Amino acid sequence: MIAVFFLSKDTSQKELNSVEQTLKKFHLVTNVRFISSEQALKKFKVDFPELRQIIDNLKINPFPSSLEVSLSEKALTSNEILGFIDEMRNMKGVEDVQFNRDWVEKMQSFSKLTKAIGLFLGGILILASFFIISNVIKLSVFARKDEIEILRLVGASNTFIKTPFLLEGIVLGICGGSLSLLFLFLLVKIFPFYLGSSLGVLNELINFRYLTLSQSLSLVGGGAFIGFSGSLSSLSRFLKI
Amino acid sequence: MIELYHIWKQYQKPHWALSDITLKIRKGDFHFITGPSGSGKTTLLRIVYRELFPTLGQIIIDGRNTLRIPEHRIYKLRRIMGIVFQDFRLLFHRRVFDNVGTVLQVLGTPQKEIRRKVFNALRMVNLQHKMWEYPSRLSYGEQQRVAIARAVVNNPKIILADEPTGNLDPELAFEIMGLFKEINKQGTTIIVATHDRELIRHFGYKILFLQKGKLIGKEGF
Repeated sequence: MIAVFFLSKDTSQKELNSVEQTLKKFHLVTNVRFISSEQALKKFKVDFPELRQIIDNLKINPFPSSLEVSLSEKALTSNEILGFIDEMRNMKGVEDVQFNRDWVEKMQSFSKLTKAIGLFLGGILILASFFIISNVIKLSVFARKDEIEILRLVGASNTFIKTPFLLEGIVLGICGGSLSLLFLFLLVKIFPFYLGSSLGVLNELINFRYLTLSQSLSLVGGGAFIGFSGSLSSLSRFLKI
Repeated sequence: MIELYHIWKQYQKPHWALSDITLKIRKGDFHFITGPSGSGKTTLLRIVYRELFPTLGQIIIDGRNTLRIPEHRIYKLRRIMGIVFQDFRLLFHRRVFDNVGTVLQVLGTPQKEIRRKVFNALRMVNLQHKMWEYPSRLSYGEQQRVAIARAVVNNPKIILADEPTGNLDPELAFEIMGLFKEINKQGTTIIVATHDRELIRHFGYKILFLQKGKLIGKEGF
């Protein structure tokens, strides 16, 4: 994504440097390229040769110098970018800014909606996992009812009896987390491959990237936690010891 | 060691499975509880190891009122007991070794020690050669001996045995009782519920007679 900062005709070198430095310092800016008014004119003539005559008749160069700023993909969904652009617009030396505000605002709304749907579905899936694991452990407790009874009679403590069930829950959670990582990996690899061309412009906007190591570990750790709590809840309800 | 005060137990009105049982069993005593089927022998033992609660009465074991021990701490009471159940209660999907070793496993005994103790316990009941078999492949008599080995493997303070010789031939029954006798000599309190009169007569320990839930007599006190 690109934003163009047009500079005033009377912008001094010092002001230009100041604007350029401010832009470079902003974390969502990936590249800043200065385009002089001569370069702009030259580019216009190359891009629109049929209008060349009109420009030549003008005798003056109507194109201002500008700074072409490349923004990172995060800028699309970041709330900071709009504030930053407004701030830059008022900076000394900056005449105007060309930036597709509507597009960014729509993308931000879309991003918020996607996050909300993601959280909602994630919440439902977490609850579903919790109840599924809880039920698996419940069945496991029922299946081993006699064994549990015998263990109690020969002096097994609660911890001794409960630990295997808790471990079972944790293992189920870890397996669930790991499997979801695997499926996500396949999805990230296969989805753009098959749908890349049909996604059109969205393909460039949506970054199909895999989870980071810490996110992956959190997913597996979260699975283990859900497994543990599901198991614990089931034990406290169905294993009255 | 074991004190029962006015124990009453009712499963269903109006019949009383146990009626006003009061008795004291001292440390190192060997008692037989006898009586016809349905006289309350098993119920009495189940109340002692607190699988059942009495309808009325109090029980003191090793100085503690067992009825006041919370459920999550009851394992401490059971750890001082070795119990031979009438229906054996073996884990049929585990080998004989694991069945006997479970008692030691729950105490956190090291594996090496478990192997040694389990082997010794099985040798006492002549079953060391069946250590790696599953209980389902053993005869009733052998299963009963596994249950006995499990009860004695941990050198408990108290052994409660419910018809421990019910499925054994007389020779083996005397052998098992001889084993209990040896264990008793080391100071272990033993209560055996049986209706085998010959066995009772032969060993000559204290006898409690139960009939229709009532303690109708004592012998050898």
